[in-house]
Amino acid sequence: MTRDTAPHTSSLNSDPLSTTNPPEHWVKREDALPPKMSSIHAARCLLGSTVKSTRAVAVGRTYATKQVVAGRSLAQKTKSSSFRPSRRNDAGGEGSAKKERSTGAFQTMSPTSLTAEIFKDRGADELVLPTFRPEALTQDKVATAMKFPVADTNPMRAFGLPKNIATEFQLLSKPFSVIRDVTLKVLGRLDSANNKSSFHSRMVLTGSQGCGKSYTLLQAVQYAAASNWLVFYFPYVIDTVNSSTSYTYDPRTKTYLQPAYAAQTLQNFLTANSRLLQELKTPGDVPIDGRAPIQGGTPLTELITIGAKDPSSAPAILSALMGILSKQTDYPVLLAIDAFQALYCKTSYKDPQFSTIKSYHLSMPRLLLEYASGKKSFARGAVIGALSASNTTFSAPIELRESLKLGNGTANSYIKRSPVLVSYAEGLTKITVPEALSEREAASLFDVWMKDKAISRDSGDELFMSKYSEAGGNPRDFVWKGFLATITL
Amino acid sequence: MNVLGVGRSSFRTAVAALRNTQTSRALATTARPYVPPASLEHVAPPRPRRSRIKTKPESSAFFTGRAGYYDSIDSLESAIHHSQRALKNLHLLPLPAFAKEALPPLQTVWKTKEDMSELLSAKLTTSRYRRVTGLLGQLNDHRRVADVGGYAELSSGLSSVLETFERDNKDAVLARGIRKPVKFDEYGRSYTVGKRKESAARVWIIPVKQRAAPAPTETQAASPDFGTVDPISIDSDPTAAVSMTEVLVNGMPLAKCFPLPADRERIIRPFRLTGLLGAYNVFAIVRGGGTTGQSGAVAHGIAKGLAAHVPDIELILKRSKLIRRDPRMVERKKTGLAKARKRYAWVKR
Repeated sequence: MTRDTAPHTSSLNSDPLSTTNPPEHWVKREDALPPKMSSIHAARCLLGSTVKSTRAVAVGRTYATKQVVAGRSLAQKTKSSSFRPSRRNDAGGEGSAKKERSTGAFQTMSPTSLTAEIFKDRGADELVLPTFRPEALTQDKVATAMKFPVADTNPMRAFGLPKNIATEFQLLSKPFSVIRDVTLKVLGRLDSANNKSSFHSRMVLTGSQGCGKSYTLLQAVQYAAASNWLVFYFPYVIDTVNSSTSYTYDPRTKTYLQPAYAAQTLQNFLTANSRLLQELKTPGDVPIDGRAPIQGGTPLTELITIGAKDPSSAPAILSALMGILSKQTDYPVLLAIDAFQALYCKTSYKDPQFSTIKSYHLSMPRLLLEYASGKKSFARGAVIGALSASNTTFSAPIELRESLKLGNGTANSYIKRSPVLVSYAEGLTKITVPEALSEREAASLFDVWMKDKAISRDSGDELFMSKYSEAGGNPRDFVWKGFLATITL
Repeated sequence: MNVLGVGRSSFRTAVAALRNTQTSRALATTARPYVPPASLEHVAPPRPRRSRIKTKPESSAFFTGRAGYYDSIDSLESAIHHSQRALKNLHLLPLPAFAKEALPPLQTVWKTKEDMSELLSAKLTTSRYRRVTGLLGQLNDHRRVADVGGYAELSSGLSSVLETFERDNKDAVLARGIRKPVKFDEYGRSYTVGKRKESAARVWIIPVKQRAAPAPTETQAASPDFGTVDPISIDSDPTAAVSMTEVLVNGMPLAKCFPLPADRERIIRPFRLTGLLGAYNVFAIVRGGGTTGQSGAVAHGIAKGLAAHVPDIELILKRSKLIRRDPRMVERKKTGLAKARKRYAWVKR
């Protein structure tokens, strides 16, 4: 097929081998989800968070701040050099929809020619789940599956999700979770923490790998958001200590600031809580380095916007905001931290002398540690952390394990405990998430996946019981190594 | 007419005279030579010659050289003949086809060729041995017919004949290959051993105590103490909890001990095939080998234990090759080869 025979006249070509224009029904790259889901950033933007929010968490270990603004023109970058780097589209993935290339061995097919059953629409939605609402969460609702609301202001969308949960929600038609006894326990604690200082309500969810700590934390976040709490949710706080975000030394506070992460956090917080923040105002002046202090009486939304737009002032604004929120009593504040143990671990950051920077010398971990340890507290609110065993580089250190009485070699008196970390781990209460789902909870979970057509409809009790027995009731093993991994359906 | 020209009577006289001379005359050939007494001083006197009594041999088949063999052939054949006659009189022979099929199978353990040779005190060749065992087989058949027909005397008589030809360790030989029955302890637990490659597993299986007792129905038979499997449907009673099979290996839950889904599935497979999920719990101690071998050993032990608890499912497990100990083992390295099968690179020169 030579160029001479290819028709050039019409833009709408029925000839699939035409190389001039791609046919209309091809999904354009800009509209599609990012192609590579392997990066955590891409997974977190899965539920449609704004483009800017993804790119604001920049990659790199540069000493100075680094802003990567989405959609920067290629011309600016390649002015002096002849090298043409690959074009990055808005979603951060490589490749461009506008690049014209031949289809090679693969030919396009019109949607009308896809007549097989598997391509047909679901039609009547088989999966009918009740919505996760605070009023609906009673004791008799244990072992029922409830879907999460998917508004844009949902903390799930604003802050993102842990990678494994994001992958599951990608596979499902509706993000959901199963209500367990431990869920009601945690939500009960939240209710009791409503009118108390957060000093008295600092909880950590513990349990074995894959038992459901992150899911329980997510349920707590959703409950708080629906109950008019101000919510801070950190789905993967390891990003603050694994040197994936920029850091600068601040001589005034003698700590390392993380401006990009702070700016991102402010933006996410604003997105999630803008409705409640309308009424709140700054009580007094907020001083910021390098610019005029922000006047008292400024609406908090404006304060946050300033910080989100200007990363250099974001850490100061974030700590000021936290201070304001900790004093106000209009709304309780929830600080939810997943992979909580990372705050107590050795970081991957290095100072100019190449010694490791402690976590409490970085602005973001320090801020979180202060509220988690009770050194600072919200007038109304709670701090909930969830341990995560997924990342073995950042596993719970001995100070935290001793504070939570986790066992596993904490009786070793030959290991040095850092007194600073011990003080930061004081007063944490442990909530153990049960290792195994009850049979009814597992049945609800299985039911949802089956109705969502992840498993064949013909599989029933035998598959369920065998996979439950193999996993020993462990939720992650039951789903991922169980019915999603087996070929003997 | 006499050729000699001598009369008959004279001939007879001549013969008698000859005879007479033979008895009294000392012939040179038969007479003993003279030996002076002095030479005989150191020689023992000759023993008196007894007249040779020719005893009749015990067996008429003595001069065959294989008396025992031919005698036994004779006696067996006569026994067959007599028993056949007897059975015919009792109308037990010839049997119709359906009766022949209904007879219990013959389990014969005759003596080996060497033992038979010793018994019959005659070295047996293969064909002779086969002839003996053929006859024994026929006689055994008659004994079986008599036994099934209810004629105990005849049967016992034939048995006594056949017993001498059977091996001493007949029971042990017949018991070979039959699995020993699995014993249950006072708690109703079965104890079995499973093996795969280099792994050996000791497996205890106990029935799950059903939490919600089902309402007794008329159709429910009197249940034994252990091993009842009453299915509970979650639809019939939504509040009733359905029990699940719990497996502990070396003290650890199954999920912790075997992280690979394939190993876990291998262990649960006996339950799945037999539909006994949720009916039994398992505790196993396994040693040796690697993860897959250990999981195979546990599965083997579970299969044997389940067959002990519920004998009906043994056929299912047999057909799916779970009861059989997987005989595959690591093949040895051979000389001249790099590994068991891998050859060294061929070099032309």
